[in-house]
Amino acid sequence: MAAVEIRQKRALTLIALPMVLLALSCVYPVFFTINAALKTRKGFVLDRFGLASDPTLANFAQAWTQSRLSEYFTNSVVVTIGAVLTLLVVSSLAGYALAVLRFRGAKIVFTIILVSLMIPVQVVLVPFYRTMIALDLVNSRAGLVIAYTAFFLPFSVYLMTAFYARLPRELFEAAQIDGAGLVQVWWHIMLPMGKPALITLGILNTLYCWNDVLISLLVLQDERTLMVGIAALRGEYTTNVPLLAAGIVLAAAPIVIIYVIFQRQIVSGIAVGAVKG
Amino acid sequence: MSDRSVSAPRRRLLGDDPGRLGLLFVVPALALVIVFRIVPLIWGFGTSLTDYDGMSAARFVGIANYAALTRDPVFIDSIVNMLILLATLPVWIGLPMLLAILIHQGVPGGKLFRAVYFFPAVLSSVIVGAIFNMLLRYDGSFNAMLKALGFSAVDWLGNSSTALFSLIAVQLWATFGMSLLIFLAGLSTVPSDMLEAAKLDGAGLFGTWWHIVIPSIRPIIEFAAVVTTIGMLTSMFGLIYVLTAGGPGTSTTLPEFLIWLEQGRMNRPGYASAISMVLFALMAGLAFIQIRIMSRNASL
Repeated sequence: MAAVEIRQKRALTLIALPMVLLALSCVYPVFFTINAALKTRKGFVLDRFGLASDPTLANFAQAWTQSRLSEYFTNSVVVTIGAVLTLLVVSSLAGYALAVLRFRGAKIVFTIILVSLMIPVQVVLVPFYRTMIALDLVNSRAGLVIAYTAFFLPFSVYLMTAFYARLPRELFEAAQIDGAGLVQVWWHIMLPMGKPALITLGILNTLYCWNDVLISLLVLQDERTLMVGIAALRGEYTTNVPLLAAGIVLAAAPIVIIYVIFQRQIVSGIAVGAVKG
Repeated sequence: MSDRSVSAPRRRLLGDDPGRLGLLFVVPALALVIVFRIVPLIWGFGTSLTDYDGMSAARFVGIANYAALTRDPVFIDSIVNMLILLATLPVWIGLPMLLAILIHQGVPGGKLFRAVYFFPAVLSSVIVGAIFNMLLRYDGSFNAMLKALGFSAVDWLGNSSTALFSLIAVQLWATFGMSLLIFLAGLSTVPSDMLEAAKLDGAGLFGTWWHIVIPSIRPIIEFAAVVTTIGMLTSMFGLIYVLTAGGPGTSTTLPEFLIWLEQGRMNRPGYASAISMVLFALMAGLAFIQIRIMSRNASL
C-alpha cells in the first residue's frame, strides 16, 4: 500500500511539470501586456520582449484622455452597475414568487424562463434590434441596461428560484403568522437570506456586463462601452502597441481586482451552475 | 396555504394573496424575457419566410431564403468552419478533465494551478483578442519563441490555413479554466472511500481514473460537453470581432458572426433571419438537453 502511494506521489510530481508550463502560458500574455504598456513606443520597437528598462506611465495617461477611455470607462461603470442591480432585484422577486409563493401558472412561467435560456442574442439579432428601435432604446445607456437585464436574466432567475426553494418553508410561514405581509417577507427575510446567491449572481453578472461586446455594439452606437472602445483602439493603433497594451490593462484591471477579491464566490457560482442537489 | 381571514385586518394595498402577488412579482422578469427574447424569436421566424427589405411591405416567400442559403458559398464556409470547430470538442473536454483529476488527486500546488488556469476566463473576449493579436503577429512573441526553438515563423492570423486553428486555440486558452472548475465541482462529489478502496486493492493512478473516477463523473462530462458546444456556437463573437474579423476571406467566419455581418446590411432582414433560424435549430436540440439537466436540479 505504501509503495502504491509513493509511486502515485512520484507520478503526480512528474505530471506537474507540463502543468507548470501550461500555467506559464496563462501568465505570460498578461506579463507581456503589462510590460509592453510600460515601454515607450521607441523602446518597444527596439526591444519587444525584454523587461521595460525605463518604465513609463505615459501610455496610460494617453489612453485614458486622448483615446477617450475615461468616457468609455464611465459608460461601462454606469451600465454595469445599473444592469446588475436591476438583475438582482428582478431575479430575487421572481425567484421568491416561483419558489415560495407558488402561484398558479408558476410552472409555465419557469418553463418560459428556461426556454429563453436557449435563445442567444445572435439568434434574435435582427428582430431584437428592431424592437430596441421601436422602443426608442438605441443609443441610450438605460436601453443597454434593459438589454443586459433581458439577456442575463434567465440564469439569474433559475439560480434564485433554486436557492429559495431550498430555504426551510417554516421561515416563510412563521413570518406570515407573525403578521408580516408578503412584500415584507421578501424585503426582511428572502432578500437577506438570499445574500450568498445574490453575491454570486452580482459578481457573475458584473463579469458578463463588463465583458460584453455584441449587445453593446448594437445598442450604444454613438457612445461606446469600454470593450467596444478597446476593440476600436486595436483597429486604430496597430503600430502603437504600448498604447494599446495600456488600454488593455486599464480595461481589464477592474475585473482582475474583482476576481482576486471574490475568487471564492466566482468559483462556487460556477459550481452551482454545474452540479447540484 | 395561509388562512387569509386571520391576517385580513393587516392586509395591505398589494394584498396578502400569494397567488396574485406571486404573479405580480414575476411580471418584470416575464415581461423582459417575452419582449426581448420570445417575441423576437417568433418575429424572426416570421421574417425569415419573407423577402422583407426593411422598407416596402414584406412578401411571403416560404422557404426561399433557406433555399438561397444552400447556394451561398459564404454560408456554406461558415458551416464548414463550425464543423471543424465542433470536431475539436474532445480536446475541450479532455484537457480540463485531465487537469481537474490531477488537481483533485493532489498534485503539488493544486490550488495555485486552479487559480492560474481559471484566470484567463475572467478576461473579456475583447481583451483576450487584443492580447493575442499582439502575441500572434508575425513579429510577435509566439513566433519569436518558435524561432528560438529552431522552427520558422508563421503568420498565424493572416494565413487562411492557420487562422481558424489559431482562433480555436485562443478560445480554448481563454475558457478551459471554466470547464476545469465544472469538473472539480463534479469530482468533489466522488466518494473518497471509493478511491481509498481502489488504492487498497493496489490499483494504479490510471486504473483508478478509468474504473472509478471517470465513470462516476459521467453526468458532469455530459453537462460539460453540452455547455461547451453551446459556447462554441454562441460565445466566439467577441474574439472573432477583435482577432480576425472573420478573415482572411471567410476562413474564420462562423454562423454567429455571419448573422452580425448580415444584420449590418439592413436591406436583407429576411435572409439574415433565416441564418439565425438555422443557428437556433442547431442550438435547440443542445439546449433541450441542458434544460433537462437543469430542471432536474432545480427542485420545482
